[in-house]
Amino acid sequence: MQESKKYKIILFILLLVVVLTAFLNLSSGSVYIPFDEVLAALFGGNVSNDNWAYIVREYRLPKVFTAILTGSGLAVSGLLMQTLFRNPLAGPYVLGLSSGASLGVALIIMGASLFGGAWAYILLSKWSIVIASSIGSLLVLLAVLLASAKLRDTMAILIIGLMFASLTAAVVSVLAYFSPASQLQQYIFWSFGSLGNLSWEEVSILSMFWFTGIILAVTCIKNLNTLLLGEQYARSLGVKIGSNRFMIILATSLLAGSITAFAGPIAFVGLAVPHLIRQVIPVNDHRILLPAVIMGGAILMLVCDIAAQMPGTEYTLPINAITSLIGAPVVIWLLVRKRKFLF
Amino acid sequence: MLKYLFLILPVLISCKSETKSSSEILIPGDTLSVNYAKGFTIVQYKDFKILKVNDPWPGSSRSFTYLLYEEDAGIPEDIEYDHKIRIPVSRIVLTSTTYIPSLESLNETNTLVGFPGLDFISSAATRNRINQNKITEIGSNDALNTELLISLKPEVVIGFAINNSNKTFNTIEKSGIPVMYNGDWTEETPLGKAEWIKYFGALFNKSDEAEKLFNEVASGYNEAREIAATATNIPTVLSGSMYKDQWYVPYGNSWSGLFIEDANANYIYKKTRGSGSRALAFETVLSEAENADFWISPGQFKSFNQLNESSLHYSRFKAVKERKVYTYSNTFGETGGVLYYELAPNRPDLVLKDLISIFHPGLLPQHELVFFKPLE
Amino acid sequence: MAAINPHIILSTHDLQIGYRNKKEDIIIASNINIEIAEGELVGLIGINGVGKSTLLRSLTGVQDPLQGKVSISGQELGSIPSEKLSEIISIVLTEQPISKNLSVFELIALGRQPYTNWIGTLTAVDREFIYNAMKLVDITDLQLKKCYELSDGQLQKVLIARALAQDTALVVLDEPTTHLDIYHQAYVLKLLKDLTIQTQKGILFATHEINLAIQLCDRIILMQKDQVHTGTPKELIENKVFSAMFPPDLIYFDNQSQSFKIIT
Repeated sequence: MQESKKYKIILFILLLVVVLTAFLNLSSGSVYIPFDEVLAALFGGNVSNDNWAYIVREYRLPKVFTAILTGSGLAVSGLLMQTLFRNPLAGPYVLGLSSGASLGVALIIMGASLFGGAWAYILLSKWSIVIASSIGSLLVLLAVLLASAKLRDTMAILIIGLMFASLTAAVVSVLAYFSPASQLQQYIFWSFGSLGNLSWEEVSILSMFWFTGIILAVTCIKNLNTLLLGEQYARSLGVKIGSNRFMIILATSLLAGSITAFAGPIAFVGLAVPHLIRQVIPVNDHRILLPAVIMGGAILMLVCDIAAQMPGTEYTLPINAITSLIGAPVVIWLLVRKRKFLF
Repeated sequence: MLKYLFLILPVLISCKSETKSSSEILIPGDTLSVNYAKGFTIVQYKDFKILKVNDPWPGSSRSFTYLLYEEDAGIPEDIEYDHKIRIPVSRIVLTSTTYIPSLESLNETNTLVGFPGLDFISSAATRNRINQNKITEIGSNDALNTELLISLKPEVVIGFAINNSNKTFNTIEKSGIPVMYNGDWTEETPLGKAEWIKYFGALFNKSDEAEKLFNEVASGYNEAREIAATATNIPTVLSGSMYKDQWYVPYGNSWSGLFIEDANANYIYKKTRGSGSRALAFETVLSEAENADFWISPGQFKSFNQLNESSLHYSRFKAVKERKVYTYSNTFGETGGVLYYELAPNRPDLVLKDLISIFHPGLLPQHELVFFKPLE
Repeated sequence: MAAINPHIILSTHDLQIGYRNKKEDIIIASNINIEIAEGELVGLIGINGVGKSTLLRSLTGVQDPLQGKVSISGQELGSIPSEKLSEIISIVLTEQPISKNLSVFELIALGRQPYTNWIGTLTAVDREFIYNAMKLVDITDLQLKKCYELSDGQLQKVLIARALAQDTALVVLDEPTTHLDIYHQAYVLKLLKDLTIQTQKGILFATHEINLAIQLCDRIILMQKDQVHTGTPKELIENKVFSAMFPPDLIYFDNQSQSFKIIT
C-alpha cells in the first residue's frame, strides 16, 4: 500500500539521520580534530596525532554508543509507559525506577558518612554505584507493584509511583542534610547524568540489557496496538491483560533501570521523544512507532551530547540540563503549531 | 526654671565622659607584625589586644573586631567591638581540624573541650585526650548540636563561615557564648595560612611564642625554596582528578598551585587565575597534560587499582605509566582523618620539602616524606 | 425465524451472578437458564441497575459466576483459553475507544488480532473480512476518515464492523443504542437483525428500547430483581410478563400493538 511505503521511506531517512548525527558527534569535542583524522582513527588509517586516535576511539566512540543506547532505550520506555497507562504525561520513571536509583545511590554516597565516621569517606568504585542504583530501582519498583497488586485499575499504579517518588525524595533530602559538602557534591554530580564515562566493558553490559529490553518490547507490539482500543476490548480480542502488563513493565525496567544505573537519571528524553515522533509521523501503529522512537531517541541524545560538549571550549555541561533545555521548548512549539494533542 | 536644668544636665555629663575616654585613646597600640596573612590584624595595648578579622568569607561586607582583654584590664569605654573575650582562654571549642596544630604547638591542647567530628582529628596529643573522653563530640560541622555546645560552657567558639547566613552561630551567641570567625581558609598563600597561629597566640596570650614558632616555619620554608631554585631540571606537574569525564584542577594562583611553583616545578595550569577548582573537559586535559612528569594530589584514590578501576583513561598519562603519582590520601590518623587537611596549612615548610624531595630527588637528602606518599 | 434444531452457541445452567466479597457474596440474579442459537437476535432488557452489564460480563468471561455454569459450544466457559474465546465471542461497548486517532480502517482491522501473526500483519484473507464487515454496515466510503471525525452513529457502526471483522459466532453488545436518536436507534437494531439473517451469527444485546426489542428480537431475556424470564416475545406477552414489569399507574403494555404506552 502507498501508506506503508511512505513509512518505510521515513524510517530509512531516520536511520540515515542517526548515522549522520553519530559522525557529527564523533567530530565534535573540546579538542578540535579534523574530520578526515576522525575517519582515519575509526577505520584504521594513519592518524597524525596519537592522542587524537585515542580520544576518538576510546572516549568519543563509546560515548556515541552510550548516547544511542540511552536515547533509544529511554524513548522506548516512555512509549511503553504512555501506551500502557494511556497517559501522555507518562515517562520511563513513573514506576519509581529513577527515584529508587536515586535512593540507592544517595544511601551509598551519603549514607556512609552517617554511619561510618571518617573511614567512610572511601572512594566509591563505579561498580558499587551501578549496583546500588540497580538495587534501589528494583526495590522501589517491587514496592510500587506490590502496593498496586490488589488494585485492578492500571491508573492506580501511576499514583502510587508518584507517592513513592515523594517518599524517596524525602529520604534523600534527610541524607543530604547530614552529609558533608564533598559527598553531597558527588551525589549531585551523579544526578546530572553523564554519557562519557563508560568503558567498553560497561557499554557491552548496557547493550545486553538494551537488547533484551528492546526484544521484549517488540514482542509486545501487537498487544500494544490492541490496547489502543482500551483494556476491555483488548481482553475480548484475546490479550492476556495481566501478563501483557508484566512484559511491558519488565521491558521498561530493564531499559530504564540499566540506563539509570550506568548513566545516571537522564530527564525528559523518555517523555518527549514519543510525542516528537508522533508530530513528525502521525501514526498509532506501534510497528512503525517503535523503530521510529528508537531512532528518534538516539538522534535527540546524540544532538544533546554535541551541545553538552560545548565544542571549541574547554568546558562541558551536564547532559540533563541540555536534554531539558532543548527538548522542552521543541515540544511546546510543535504542540502550539499543530494545536491538537495527538494521542 | 527647672527646664533650664534639663538643658544643662546632659551637657555636664557628656563633658565628664569625654575627658575620661580621650585620655585613654591617646595611648597608641603596637601593631604586631603580620607579614603574609591578609585576613587579620592584631594591635597590642597595655593589657588588651584588638584582633580584627577582615573578610572572613569572600564577599563579606564587613570585618569583625574582637577585644581580647587580660584580667583587671582597663578598657576604654567607646571602643567598638563584636565580642569581648578574657584571655588567656581556658575552655575553647574549635570547628576545624586546621586549628588543632596551632593549639598543639602552643601547648594549649588542654583547653579544647568540644569539636564536631572527632574522628577527623589526626594529631596524637589531641587523640589522647579524646580517648580519655575529655573532648565532647558536638555533631558534624554542617549541623552543630547547639544544645551540647552550650552545655559545655566554653569561653569562646572559633568558627568559620562561607557566607553571610550563620544561623547556628547566631543561636550560640544569643546564649551568651562569643563566636569568633577564623578566616584562615580564605588565605591563598602557604605562609599566609600558616601565620594564623598568631591568631591563636593572641587568644592564649602567647603572642611572642606564636611569633617565634611562625618564624621557624617561615625560615624553613624560605630556605627550602632557595634550595629548590638551584635545581637544574624543572619537571612538569599535573594536579587534580576526574569526576566522570570532567577534570577538576586547582588554579595556578591557588594555595596548592603556589606550592608547586615554590618547589621549582612547572604546573601545567599555572597560568590560570581564580579560586576553587577549575573544571575542564577530559579531552582538553589529555591533550595538554598527557606528558606531565608528575601527578600530585590525585583526589581520593588510594591505589593504582582504584585509579584504573575508576577510569581507563588515566593510564594514558605518562605520570601513571611511570608510576610517578603522589598522594596525601594515604596518610591518615588513627580514626581515618587525613593528616594533610589538618597539618599542612600550619606546616607549609613540610609540604614544600615533601614536594621538593619528589620533584628534585637528592636535593633534600635528610627529609622524610610527611604528607605525600607515592601511590601504590 | 430461527431454523429448527439450530446450533446452540451459548447456554447457561442455573447460573448465579454477583460479586464475591471477603465477607459475603452479593447476589445479583440467580437461576438463570438461557440459550442463544445461531442466527438468533436476543435482546436483554431490564430496568437500570438490575444487573444487565453484570450478566453480560459473566456470559463473556470477564467476570466469574458465583454458581452454575456457562457453556460455549458445549465447552465450559472457564476452560476455554482466551485466544480461543476471542474467536467465538466479540463485544461492542458503550464506551468510546481510548484512541480516537485511529482511522476507520485501522480500528476495524484490529478486530483481526486473534488471527494475525505475532506482529499483527494483515493477510489477504484478513483484508477480505475487513472489507466485508465494512460493506455489511455500509461504511466503506468512510474507511480513511479518523474516528474523531465521525458522528456518534457512524462510530457505533464502525465498532459493530470491528466486531464483525472478528468473525465470531456470537456478538455481544452492551446498550448499542444509547446516545442515539430514534432514527438511528431503529437503524442499528434493524442492522443487527439483518446481520443475524445474513451472517447467521448469534447476536445478544442489552437495551432500554423495549418496544423495538419486542418487535425485532427472536428471543428476549427479561431481568427482574428476583427472576429472569426468557422466551420469544410472543411467549412472554402471552404469559403477561410485560404487564407485570412496571407499576401500573403510568404505563401499560398494549397487547394489540405489542408495545408500552402511556396512560393519558
